[in-house]
Amino acid sequence: MISRENFPSLGIGVGLRRVHYGWVLENRPRIDWFEIISENFMAPGGRPLEVLEAVRENYPIAMHGVSMSIGSTDPLRREYLARLKETARRFEPAWISDHLCWTGVGGRNLHDLLPLPYTEEAVRHVARRVREVQDFLERPILLENVSSYMAYRISRMSEWEFLAAVAEEADCGILLDINNIFVSAFNHGFDAHAYIDGVPLGRVMQFHLAGHSEHGAYLLDTHDHPVRDEVWALYEYALRRFGRVAALVEWDDNIPDFPVLAETAERAREIEEKLLGERGVNDAVQAEGIAKPALPPDNRA
Amino acid sequence: MRSKLKELQSLLYRLITAPEGVAQGLERETALPAGGLGGIIAGDERLSALARVEIYANMYFYRILDALKEDFPATLAVIGADNFHNLITDYIAAHPPTHYSINEAGRSLAGFVREHPLGRAHPFLADLAALEWAVIESFHARDASALDADAMRQIAPERWPALRLATHPAVRLLALAHRVERVLAAVERNEEWSPPAREPSPTLVWRNRSMVFYRVLEAPEFEALDAAHSGATFAEICGRFAAAATAGDAASEINRNLSRWLGDGLLILGGA
Ligand SMILES: [Fe+2]
Repeated sequence: MISRENFPSLGIGVGLRRVHYGWVLENRPRIDWFEIISENFMAPGGRPLEVLEAVRENYPIAMHGVSMSIGSTDPLRREYLARLKETARRFEPAWISDHLCWTGVGGRNLHDLLPLPYTEEAVRHVARRVREVQDFLERPILLENVSSYMAYRISRMSEWEFLAAVAEEADCGILLDINNIFVSAFNHGFDAHAYIDGVPLGRVMQFHLAGHSEHGAYLLDTHDHPVRDEVWALYEYALRRFGRVAALVEWDDNIPDFPVLAETAERAREIEEKLLGERGVNDAVQAEGIAKPALPPDNRA
Repeated sequence: MRSKLKELQSLLYRLITAPEGVAQGLERETALPAGGLGGIIAGDERLSALARVEIYANMYFYRILDALKEDFPATLAVIGADNFHNLITDYIAAHPPTHYSINEAGRSLAGFVREHPLGRAHPFLADLAALEWAVIESFHARDASALDADAMRQIAPERWPALRLATHPAVRLLALAHRVERVLAAVERNEEWSPPAREPSPTLVWRNRSMVFYRVLEAPEFEALDAAHSGATFAEICGRFAAAATAGDAASEINRNLSRWLGDGLLILGGA
C-alpha cells in the first residue's frame, strides 16, 4: 500500500513557469522545490527541456500533468503515457500527479478539467484506470481534486467521499488542492472543513495553494490572484489534520515577479512552522509522527 | 453503466463545444431526459444548469484562444482581436483539439486561414500563420548535435562529395509567396508593420542555442538546403549552386553558404 514514508515532504515549492525561466536560472532562488506542468516538457526538444535540466541540478521537482484524462471513457492514451514515463525517466521527479477529472472524449480534448459524477460506477471506472497507469509507469501517482462549477444529478456521494473511494480502491495518493476545495465549496454550497475531515489521512502527499477570481454567483479557479485569507485558514486546518505535507504555490495567469511567489511560499512555511515546528533533518520519517499527537482522533478512518 | 458515463461525457462535450453556444447546442439534442439539462446537471437559484455548463463552454473557448494568441501574435496583430476571435471560433469548430498538448492546437491554422474569408481578404495571412507555426515547431523540435566547422574539418576532403547530410530537426523550409518575415519581425519588435510584397519568399526557420531565427533565402540556397533536407550528398548540394552560377562563383557561393550553415547549426550528418 502507498505510504507517506515514501513521499517525504519536499517542503514549500512553487510552480515553474516560462516567464521565470531566466530569473530562476540566474538567481537560483531559495525555494525547496519546483513543480512542472508535465505536458510543457514532453516535446522532443528545445529550451524548456534545457531549462529543466539546469533547474533539476539544483532542486527536486514533481511532475504535474493536465491531460491524463483519467476519468474519460476513452481508452487511456498509450503514447501519452509513454512520453510521460520517458520524461520522468529523464528528470527523476519525486512524484507524478494529475487530476481526478476527465478532459475529453471521442478522441477530442477540451483542455479543461471536468468533474465526474460521484457514483460507485465512476469510482470503479477511475480506480481501474489509475491501477493501469500505475502499473505502466511503475510508480504510484497522486490525483488532485479539481475546482468545479457543475454537479451531476446522478451523484450518490460527496466529492470527498468520491476522492477517498477512488484513492482507496486504486491505492494512489492525493494531491489536495486547498484553493479548489474553497472554490468548489462556494460553488456547490458544501462545508470545506467537512471535505478536509473526510480525506483519508495517509494518502495526502501534497497540497496546492493558489488564488482564484470572484464572478458574483461563483468563484473561478484562475490561478491569477494572491492566495486568499480564507484559503490560508483552510491550509492551517489541513496542516492540523495531515501534518507536514509538501506544499506548492500555483500561479498561472497575471504571473507576478518571482519574488512574489517566493514570498507566498515563505508565508506557507511560516504557517507550517508555527503549527508543526521547524522542518527537521529527518522529516521523511517524522512526517506522520509529528502530525499525529496534535490531531484530534480520526473517527472516520 | 460505463456507456452511461460515456453518453454523459459525449453530451457535455457537444454542449461545451457548440459553436453558437450551449443553449443552441441544447436545441439540437433530441434524447434529453425529462427536465432537460436540469435533469442531468444540478442548477440552483444562484446558477442554472445552463449557466454552469456555459462556464465550461467559455473556458474551453478562451483557453484555446489565449494559447493561439500567444502562438500567432502577428496573425493577431494583422487582423485585430475581433477578427481573430471570429477566426478561432470557426477554426476550432473545424479543427477541434485532439492532441494531449494545447501547444498543438494551432497545427492546422495556416491551412485553415488559406480557405477562410479573412485569408482571402488578406492574401498574405496564410503565409504569415505558416511562418508563425514553423517558429513554434522549430522551438519544440528534437535536439540533435549540429555539424560545425571543426567537425567538417575532421572529415577527409576526399570523403566530402559522397558525404550524406541532413538538416537539423529544428530546420523548416517554407516556400512562401509573401515577405511575411518582415511582418513578423515588426510585430516582435513592437513596430508598425506594413502589408508585405507578393514575391517568391523561400524562408528558412532554424534554432540555434534554443533561440529560433528566420530569414528569406536566395533561390539556390533554398534549393541546396532543400536537397540537404531530403538527405542529399554534399556533391548534390553543391550542384544546386553550380546550376545557378559560373564555376568560379559557384565555388565561392558554396564556401560562403556552407560556413554560414555550419555557424547556424543547420546541418547534421545524414544516414549512410
Ligand atoms: Fe491545483
